[in-house]
Amino acid sequence: MGCGRVGSTVAGRLDADGHDVTIIDLNTQAFRRLPGSFGGERLRGSGIDDRTLVAAGVREADAFIALTQGDNRNLMASQMAKHLFNVETVVTRVYDPLRAELYGRLGLRTFSPTRISADLAIDALLGTA
Amino acid sequence: MYIVIIGAGNVGYGLALELYSHADYEILLVENDRGRAEVLRDELGELCVHGDGTEVTFLESIGVSRADIVIAVTGDDSHNLIACQVAQHRFGVSRTIARVNNPRNERLFQTLGIESTVSAASAVLAQIEADLPAQSFIPLLRLRASGLEVVDLHVQPRSRAAGVALRDLDLPDDAVISLVVSGDSSRVPDGDTVLEAGDEIIAVIGQESEPAMRELVRSPDEPQREIDEVLQ
Repeated sequence: MGCGRVGSTVAGRLDADGHDVTIIDLNTQAFRRLPGSFGGERLRGSGIDDRTLVAAGVREADAFIALTQGDNRNLMASQMAKHLFNVETVVTRVYDPLRAELYGRLGLRTFSPTRISADLAIDALLGTA
Repeated sequence: MYIVIIGAGNVGYGLALELYSHADYEILLVENDRGRAEVLRDELGELCVHGDGTEVTFLESIGVSRADIVIAVTGDDSHNLIACQVAQHRFGVSRTIARVNNPRNERLFQTLGIESTVSAASAVLAQIEADLPAQSFIPLLRLRASGLEVVDLHVQPRSRAAGVALRDLDLPDDAVISLVVSGDSSRVPDGDTVLEAGDEIIAVIGQESEPAMRELVRSPDEPQREIDEVLQ
C-alpha cells in the first residue's frame, strides 16, 4: 500500500524475487515509479477501504506492508489487514517514533524512518558507523 | 469532568458549544488546521488549541491522561481511530468515542476496542427506515456487547404473525417480545396473547435474528429492503 519511492522500490524488488505482488495507490500516476520490469498488479484505490483491500486479494495474502506518507492511514490499513483479514505478516511504516513504539507493543510490526535516520545521523556524526 | 474533543469541524465545534454550557464539564477542542484553530480561538479563547490529536507528545501536553472522555470527530476515520487508540493505550483514557464517517468501518472500530462509535450515515439511514410509512421493522437500540438489539415491529395485515397466539408463533430462540401495544393500551404479553394486524411490538432480539423477525411481521406485499443493500 503506497507507491511512493519506497513502496515502488519494495514492490519492484519483491516482484523480481519471484513473489506475487499487488501494489495499491490512490493515484495511478504513482505507478510510473515502478520499474519497467514490474510484473505484479497495480490497483488504484484507498488502502483504508475494505473493498479495495479485498479487490487486492488481502484474503489470500501472506503479507501486507503499508508505506504511504500518512502514519494514521498506514496504522488503520495494517490493523484492517491483521484483525479483519487475518494476514499473518503485517509491516507498517510510522514516521512518529512514539506511535511506532506504541503500535509495536500492540502487535504490529512497525518501523520508524525518523528514528532510523536519527540513529544513522548520530552514527555518522560520531564516526561510529 | 474533563472532555477532550478532537476535530473542530462542524461536529466538533457544535459538540464543544453544547457541552461547554454544562458547568461541570471542562472542555478542550483540538484542531489540526492552524487557520481554523486561530479563527476558533478568537471566538472561544482557551477552549480551542491547535495540535495533532493523534500525536503522543501533543496529547501529553494537553494532559489527556486525566481526561474522562476523548471524542474524536474529524472527517477522517483513520485519524479518529488512531486518536482513540493512542488515548486508550498510551494514556489510559477509559472512555473513547469515535465518529465513523464510512459506516463500513464500524465493525473495525468495534473489533479494535473503541467503546462507542457514532456514524452520521447510519443514523440517517435508521431515520429513513423509521420514516418509511410501510416499514414494519425499526431498529431502536443496539446493545453491542451482548449482540442484542431492541426493535420496534409493526404487525402488518396478512403477515405471518397477524391473528396468531404467541405460543404458536415460530419465534427465533433469542427473541423476547417485551411489550405489545394495541391502539392506546399496552400489555406485557404471555403465550396466550394473540397478535393482531396494526399491533406494535417492542422486542429484544439477537442481531442474527433480524431477517427472521422481519419475515414474521412483513406484509406479503412489502418489498424486502436491508440497510446493507442501501449502503452498497
